[in-house]
Amino acid sequence: MSSWFTNVALTHFLFTGAVLFVLGLIGFMTRRNLIIIFLCTEMMFQGVVLTLASFAKFHGHFTGQTFVIFALTIAAAESALALGLVVLLFRRKRTLDALSWSELQG
Amino acid sequence: MTYALYVGSFIGAVSLLLMLPRHGFTPRKFGALLGAATLGGLWLFLADHFDQILHVRMAYYYIFSFLAIASAVSVITHTKPVFSALWFVMLVLASAGLLLLLDAEFIAFAMVIIYGGAILVTYVFVIMLATQSVEPGNEESAPGYDRIARQPAAAVATGFLLLAVLLTVTFRPIEPISQRKAMSDAATISMQLSDRRVNHLVEKAGVEDPALLADAGRVENVERIGLDLFEKHPLGLELAGVILLVSLVGAVVIARKRIEAQA
Repeated sequence: MSSWFTNVALTHFLFTGAVLFVLGLIGFMTRRNLIIIFLCTEMMFQGVVLTLASFAKFHGHFTGQTFVIFALTIAAAESALALGLVVLLFRRKRTLDALSWSELQG
Repeated sequence: MTYALYVGSFIGAVSLLLMLPRHGFTPRKFGALLGAATLGGLWLFLADHFDQILHVRMAYYYIFSFLAIASAVSVITHTKPVFSALWFVMLVLASAGLLLLLDAEFIAFAMVIIYGGAILVTYVFVIMLATQSVEPGNEESAPGYDRIARQPAAAVATGFLLLAVLLTVTFRPIEPISQRKAMSDAATISMQLSDRRVNHLVEKAGVEDPALLADAGRVENVERIGLDLFEKHPLGLELAGVILLVSLVGAVVIARKRIEAQA
């Protein structure tokens, strides 16, 4: 039992990354506030970053960490555009409810 | 062992479902306790099943990981958007701690600076611009799209099904790819940083300082990432710059549009 106090495996970090990704996914599907939906997208990025970094350490190679920089670039660009859209949508309908735009369906 | 993952995922799903906001009473504390117990039980069970050792300090992993998961759950279950954003900052800090454990110092600090310092600040500004006021004493005056989760059972079931499958795949033994291992510090310096001179440092200090010599012989994490980025991914770097430019122009175009306020 004392061995688990000294060693952490790759699998543990992948576990945390997977849980963060799935929590972001659930938040994305569940919340109706437009801003929180995009915040949960950023949470999915956090899970992916953790997975990339843990594989980089595991294989002893640094491409995983380099790819994190690209993912971060995309995350920043996407959040800027998403928030611009949210402000615009709020100005039109005065509500942040995602369902208020559901008349576009069908 | 997969049964433990499935059972853990199922109980975790139930506890998250309890915590998601809904009409009337939400048993948040009970859900939180159940979730914490599930996480603890799963970690205890999985402790014997490690296949690859990363030689990382254990207690820090558990602390940061628990903080990260608790903050993530708070982000998705809190009814007020400002608090969700603040808990997200906590998540970024916990995830930076985990990245430090993985010897990824540059991306740990880049995460804190870029997420906590730029992206989350933008989010809080937009929340300030676009939130209707809530009377302090009256819980019901908060807008319904914040107070009530949409189809929580289906979302949680889908999410945890994905998690169960992901975890089953995660806990298979894999071997590190030894041919792709990065070069050691000394080899990197001799091959790629060959004009890195120790002598001028020594001349300035005047004495043979062993700490300076040791410093010059070590390749830091930032230098490693820089070498990898510029040697192996130059096209990606240029494309990242183009994407940032495109998003900048796009954001300005989107924000300039004049909207007549409709009722």
